[in-house]
Amino acid sequence: MRPHSSLKQEFLKEWIKGLQRCSFPKKSILERKKAIKLSADIAMASARNGTTCWSRALISSAAKDGSDNNHLVKQILGPESDRPAVENKAPARQASVCKKILKRSCRIRRRGRRKCGAAAAPSSIAKHLVKKRRQILRSLIPGGEFMNEICLIEETLDYITSLRVQVDVMRSLATASVRGTE
Amino acid sequence: MDKGEKDKYELENRNENSINYQAPVMSSDWQFGGANLTSAGMSLVPSGNPLALGSSCASASVADSFGSNLWEHPSNSQNLGFCGINVQNGASSSNAMGIGKSTLTSLRSGVDRPFDMGWNAASSMLKGGFFLPNTTGILPQSLSQFPADSSFIERAARFSSFNGGNFGDMVSPFGMPESMGLYTGGMGLMRGPEDMFAANGMKSVSGVESQKSKLNVTEATRDACLQVENRAKKSPGNDRRSGSLFRANEEAKQGAGGSGNESDEAEFSGHDGGQDEPPSLDGAGGEPSAKGLSSKKRKRSLQDAEIDQAKGGQPPTEAAKDGAENQHKGEQKQTTSVNKTTGKQVSPASHPPKEEYIHVRARRGQATNSHSLAERVRREKISERMKFLQDIVPGCSKVTGKAVMLDEIINYVQSLQRQVEFLSMKLATVNPRLDFNIEGLLAKDIIQSRAGPSSTLGFSPDLSVGYPALHPSQPGLFQAALPVTGSNTDVIRRSLSSQFTSMTGGLKESNQLSNPWEDELHNVVQMNYGTSAPSDDLNVNGPQPSGNT
Repeated sequence: MRPHSSLKQEFLKEWIKGLQRCSFPKKSILERKKAIKLSADIAMASARNGTTCWSRALISSAAKDGSDNNHLVKQILGPESDRPAVENKAPARQASVCKKILKRSCRIRRRGRRKCGAAAAPSSIAKHLVKKRRQILRSLIPGGEFMNEICLIEETLDYITSLRVQVDVMRSLATASVRGTE
Repeated sequence: MDKGEKDKYELENRNENSINYQAPVMSSDWQFGGANLTSAGMSLVPSGNPLALGSSCASASVADSFGSNLWEHPSNSQNLGFCGINVQNGASSSNAMGIGKSTLTSLRSGVDRPFDMGWNAASSMLKGGFFLPNTTGILPQSLSQFPADSSFIERAARFSSFNGGNFGDMVSPFGMPESMGLYTGGMGLMRGPEDMFAANGMKSVSGVESQKSKLNVTEATRDACLQVENRAKKSPGNDRRSGSLFRANEEAKQGAGGSGNESDEAEFSGHDGGQDEPPSLDGAGGEPSAKGLSSKKRKRSLQDAEIDQAKGGQPPTEAAKDGAENQHKGEQKQTTSVNKTTGKQVSPASHPPKEEYIHVRARRGQATNSHSLAERVRREKISERMKFLQDIVPGCSKVTGKAVMLDEIINYVQSLQRQVEFLSMKLATVNPRLDFNIEGLLAKDIIQSRAGPSSTLGFSPDLSVGYPALHPSQPGLFQAALPVTGSNTDVIRRSLSSQFTSMTGGLKESNQLSNPWEDELHNVVQMNYGTSAPSDDLNVNGPQPSGNT
């Protein structure tokens, strides 16, 4: 496992920077929560420096022009946005292309499978189950639809560790702030 | 292994010193006249195959004695009877395993000396257990007792795979006709138990047999249970490292040093003979060649019950040949690989799968060889990475099978994401201004717990001073959580210090901080500890401020 503390350190730094750049005050709790979560996600993703697919996908999806968070993201990313943004554009384009190809192939595969009929063999049933779960996992992980299976599992690994770091830091911050306000 | 080592191990065995915990278990068992060792035997196996080889040396004496018994009583019944009796006595499991392992090592040393040593050393110990049942008619029933313990069978298969690899080593470098003759004789003898094991559903045996036709000699000679153990161990990992068996075998064939072989085989890593690949298990080059080799061997093993000794010298050439013929053997590989992957969760006691892939092979008629090869490689990679995931995701270690593991992973990711959402919401409610004045927070904490200085920055180097003092004070329970929380706060402080100028009085601050650190860490640790459990249960962590102060 990666050294946890260094990752936490980076994440926290980025997050605080992003939070400080966020335009306060948001009126509603939900907006605030969104801003917090967004900054945390982006901090987490940028901590990877574009080495992992999910981080790029996360940033690119957050920075999509049509999204609501766009301004927030731009603020958070700030001057650093140039580099990750450039990286994100390419994957975004590739992502859309891959998506189309994937959809096409899925359609074809579905057609083929229907011709075969119901699969009675346990192995095929197991494969079907596994495939279903893989689909779910793909939907969970940002940018997961564009990865092959090997990459998917690697990205999952990375994503899980980052999520853990995120949760730990946020939790400690929350407890500290709660205790601070008491 | 050197002779000196063997002697040392024997002595340790006798003295019940535990070189590794396998040895003492076995020796103690024998001394106690065969206490029920099923569990002990099982415990032996989990020692880990990496230890198997080491322990095999320790148990070399036992194995040798057993082997000597085998050879001394060439009658099938007697051999099997020993096998069965061991089961009945409860010492068989350990004996079998020990024998398998010890024979492996002894064979690997490739000299008759270990056998002599073993016989002399352990004969006295073993006589009670082995010679008791000179009955001949017990074989089938006694052997049938083996499958009763599926986990034992698993381990037996594991060890048998070890056996296979070692035998390969033994066979090729040492073309000793005598030993070969012995082994062939043993093979004939052990054919019966092997078949019985297969009949009992010990897929591992057959799997081993099929996979390593070249090692049939060794397989047959050694205990079927040993092979079963080996196979069993392999079967769970089959989907991941089906080629590892061959790697081990080929390494053995390479005639590497005994210890080197042991370590390699034990770890099932390394490279195929002449087919170098990255040390990781998913070496594409090695695996296909190994697969081809296995497929080839499988055929032969299925066809020939007995294998002539010449095969022993051929495996290296065969390996090279197979590497070249890989493309043409794709079908076989496919079937075997497919069989293995479908048998991901197959227990070693699954005899039908062993026979299945014969049919599967005929049925499948899959795509081109290169595709199947690539498929195989891809599957190996995936399974290896799933292993990493198993380590990370809590509660996944006991789970086998892709679907269930994927389920766990999905649940874990979902729970983590939900936690992030919840925590962000909590932070939003707690801090309406989103300013998150970290400095202020920490300062407040410190002020709360202790009337200390308001300067909370610039003591990161001193924190490390404080931590060692803290650790002994913390209960052991929180040790695990401590580094996390400690690093959290440390991280926070470090980041703050990086952004703000450091303050004065490092030492003074550290001293003053140590107590507040203790309190804060206590609380945070309790909180984390309390919340980490629910998170493991895949529940969204409810706020547990009660865990604080």
